[in-house]
Amino acid sequence: MLIKKKSQKIVDKVNAEACDQCGKCPSSCPVTARVEGFNPRQIIAKVALGREVDLMKSQVIWTCTSCLKCKERCPEEISPYDIMLALRRIAIHLELPHPEGFDESAKVVAETGAVQQPQLVRTRNKERKDRKSMGLPPAEKPRDMAAYTETLRGILEEGEA
Amino acid sequence: MKYALYLGCTVQTEQYGYEASVRTTMPRLGVELVDMTGVSCCGFPPFSSVSELAWLYSSARNMAIAEGMGLPIFALCNGCHLSFVETKHKLEHSPELKAKMNEKLAREGLRYEGKAELIHIFELLHDVVGKDKITAAVSNPLEGLRFAAHPGCHAIRPSRIGRPDDPENPKKLDDLITWLGAEAADYPEKIDCCGSSLAAASGKTVLDIAGEKLKAVKRRGFDGLVTTCPFCFKVYDNKQRAIQATVGDRELEVPVFYYTQLLGLAIGVDQESLGLDLNQSPIDPVLEKIGGK
Amino acid sequence: MKPVLVIGGGIAGIQASLDLADRGTKVHLVERTPSIGGVMAQLDKTFPTMDCSICILAPKMIECYRHPNITIHTQSEVIGLEGNVGDFRIKVLEHPRSVDATKCTGCALCSEKCPVKKPSAFQVGLGQRKAIYLAFPQAVPLIATIDREACLWFTKGVCRTCEKVCTSKAVDYEQKENIVDLNVSSVIVATGFEQYDPKDIGEYGYGRYKNVLTALEFERLVCASGPTGGVLNRPSDGKVSHNIAFIQCVGSRTQTSGYSYCSASCCMYATKEAVLIKEHEPSSHVTIFYMDLKTFGKGFQGFVDRARSHWGVEYIRGRPGEIREDPVTKNLTILYENTEVGRVERLDADLVVLCTAAIPHRDNAKLATVLGIGQDEYGFFANPDPVASPVETDRPGIYSCGSCHGPRDIPESVAEASATAAKAAEDAARAEGVA
Repeated sequence: MLIKKKSQKIVDKVNAEACDQCGKCPSSCPVTARVEGFNPRQIIAKVALGREVDLMKSQVIWTCTSCLKCKERCPEEISPYDIMLALRRIAIHLELPHPEGFDESAKVVAETGAVQQPQLVRTRNKERKDRKSMGLPPAEKPRDMAAYTETLRGILEEGEA
Repeated sequence: MKYALYLGCTVQTEQYGYEASVRTTMPRLGVELVDMTGVSCCGFPPFSSVSELAWLYSSARNMAIAEGMGLPIFALCNGCHLSFVETKHKLEHSPELKAKMNEKLAREGLRYEGKAELIHIFELLHDVVGKDKITAAVSNPLEGLRFAAHPGCHAIRPSRIGRPDDPENPKKLDDLITWLGAEAADYPEKIDCCGSSLAAASGKTVLDIAGEKLKAVKRRGFDGLVTTCPFCFKVYDNKQRAIQATVGDRELEVPVFYYTQLLGLAIGVDQESLGLDLNQSPIDPVLEKIGGK
Repeated sequence: MKPVLVIGGGIAGIQASLDLADRGTKVHLVERTPSIGGVMAQLDKTFPTMDCSICILAPKMIECYRHPNITIHTQSEVIGLEGNVGDFRIKVLEHPRSVDATKCTGCALCSEKCPVKKPSAFQVGLGQRKAIYLAFPQAVPLIATIDREACLWFTKGVCRTCEKVCTSKAVDYEQKENIVDLNVSSVIVATGFEQYDPKDIGEYGYGRYKNVLTALEFERLVCASGPTGGVLNRPSDGKVSHNIAFIQCVGSRTQTSGYSYCSASCCMYATKEAVLIKEHEPSSHVTIFYMDLKTFGKGFQGFVDRARSHWGVEYIRGRPGEIREDPVTKNLTILYENTEVGRVERLDADLVVLCTAAIPHRDNAKLATVLGIGQDEYGFFANPDPVASPVETDRPGIYSCGSCHGPRDIPESVAEASATAAKAAEDAARAEGVA
C-alpha cells in the first residue's frame, strides 16, 4: 500500500538493524521519562521490524521534543529523532491524523513569511509594547511575497519525493 | 566585526527584549550589526515535520540573502542557527539538492552558493569578542549573584555537525556569565531540554519538562536562569505561571534573563533599553541587587 | 642455536619465554617499562578462579629472571630489525636506569627520601611514586630507576639525595643508554594493550566526576597493594563505598567514541570486581549495566551465575544514557533503561566503574614499522589468517600473542604464548639445521 511504499524508502536509508537495543536513547530522553508509550528504542525496533506504518498511525512520532540527546549519544549513529521527523512528513503528506498546529503553521509561514504577526506584548507592569514603541525597526518579510508564497506552496503540494 | 543580524520569527514577533538587548550591547563591544531585508522564517518549526524541502528552502533563502550582503549571518536563536548549519551541511553534501534549491530560489531572484559563514552568539561573544574586551567593558560587575547557564539543546547538539559548545560539558555561557562579575556553576540539569518543541503535540508535557529545570535551578540556590534562545526563554519566563500551575507549586519563582540583558546591565545600559520590563518572571529583586539605571 | 627475541614482558611474553627457555632455547626478553609483569601484575584477582593475580604471576616472573636461558632487557625497546626468519639482526635500545643493577639491592631507601612525587603508572595515577622508584613491590628486576624528566638533578642540577642515602652506592647519574645487537631466529611480539580513555564519552563524566573510575583504576582501589590498601575509599571524600555500579562496553561496540569491537574480558572482569566488592563487604549493593553477557570461556557462565545467586550482584540489561553528579555530595546518579522491561529509571551510587575498551597500544605503529609487520584496521597487529594461523603475523618468523593482536583474557594469552613458543622453537631448530 501507498503508506508502506513511501515509508519503506525511509526505512531503507536508515540503518535500524544496526540498533543493539542498548537503551541509551530512552534513558537520555526527557519525554520517555514522562509519557507512557513513548520510547525511542522501541520506535527503532518497530522500524527495524518493518512496522513503521503502525508508528505513523499512532501519536508516538509527534511527541519528540527535538532535544537531540538520542542522536548525540547513540553508539551506532542512529537518530530516532530524524526517523520520527521523516515519518511525520509522510504521515502529513498522506493526511494521517496528526496535531493540528502543523498544517496551520505551515500555511501561515508560506503566506506571510513568519509564524505570526508582530505581537503586542505585555510588560510586568501591564503596559503594552510593540516593535515601534521599543524603538525596533519594522518587521521584515520576503521582498517578492508572491514568488515566495508560490514557491513554498508548490513545494508543500509536491510533498515528499 | 560586521554581521548580518538574523532575528528569526520568535524574536521578531514577540521576544523584543532579546533583540533590544542585543542591539544596545553588541555595538558597545565593537560588533556592528547590519539589518537584513527580505528575510523570512528559518523554516525549522513550521516545516521540518512537514516537508524537508520547504524547510531547507526557507533556511537557504535567508543564507542566500546574507551571502548577497557579503556578511556572515548572526542568528540569535539556537534553533535558527542549527537550522542554517544543518541546511548548509545537507546542501554541501548533495549538489543535486543544491541545484534544485537554486532553481527554486531563482524565482525570488536569489542564489545560494553556501559561502555564508554562520555564527552563534556564544561564538561571537566568547570567542570573537572575547574575555578581555567584555571584562574591560564591565562597569557594574554583577557581584554576589549566581546564575544557572542554560545553553539550550540546539546550541550544543548534534555535535557531529559542529555546534558552538561541548554537548555534555558546555562552558561558554558559564564563562560569559563570570566575565560579568557574577558566578556560574555546574549543575546536573544544565543540558536538559526546555521542552518547547513539544508544544504542538502536548502543551502540558512542555510545562512539566520546563518545570523540572526551574525546580532544579531553585533547589540548587541560583539567583536566576540565563539563556540565549527565545524558545527556551519563552517557556521558562513567559510561561512561568503556567509551569507553576502544572507542577502545582505557586512558589516556583525563578528570575529568567537573556544573557545580553545581563551583559547590558553589567556594561551600564539602562534597564528599559534592555527590554527588562518585558520579562514576566520575578526579576525585580535581582535588578535591585544589580543596581544601575 | 640462535636465540629468540620476545618483545613484551607481560604474562604472554613471560609464558613464551619460559616455554622456550625450558626446552633449551635462549631468549632475549625486551620490556619497555622498568619491570616485567604487565597488566596482570596490576590485577587483584583473576577470573574465574579468583586466584590472587600477583601470586600466580610473580613465581613466573622470578623464574624468568633466574632462568639461565633468559636475558631480560628492561627499559628497552626494539629499534631495528633486518633479515629473515632464521636470521634476524636486531637492535635493542636500553634506556639508562641511572642505577647500577649489580649494586642495587632493591631496599627502596632512595625512593623513601626522594623529594619529588609523580603519579604512579602502576597505580594508574591513583597513587604516587618518586622520581627514583621501584615499579611495584614485586618488580622484576627489583632495581630502582630514575625518571630523568622528574628528577631534580637531571632537570635542575640540584638534590642528589638518593646518591647520598644509598648504602650500596648504586646510583649512577652518568649511566648512558646502550644499544645491543642481537641475532635471532624468530621474534615473538607480546606487547599487550592499553585502556581506552573514556573522557570522550562526555555523558559519563569521566575526568569531571571524581567518583567515576575506569576498571583498571578500580582494580587498584580494591587491591590490597593499592593506594588505599584495598579499602574502597572513593576519590572525592574517602568515603568507603558500598553502593557501586559498573557500566559495560565503554568505548567498545560503538561507531562513535571508541571502537566497534567487543573487548572480550570486561563482562568477566566486571563480575570479578563485583564479587571482590561483595567479598569485602557482603552488604554492598553492586549493579552491572550490560548489553550482553559474554561468558564464553571455561567456567565463565558458572562464575556469573554464582555472582548473581550466591553474592547477589544485580545485572541490568541497559546501556546508561547519562551519569549525573550531585554538586555537593559528589554522589552519582545513573540514568538508564531496564531494556528487559522497558522502564526508564535512575540509580544512585557512591562510585561508578567504567569498563573501558582494550585498545591497541599507542606504540604499535612505531613497532610495526620497525618489524615490518602489518596492523589491522584498529591498530592491533594483523594476523592475515586468524582462523588457521592465529599467532602468525604477515611476516614469516614473526609471531604475535596476547592482547597485542586483539582483546584477550589471561587464559587465551597464555595459550597463544605457548603456541608462538612452539612456532619459534621450530624456526630455531630449522635455522640450526636440526628440524
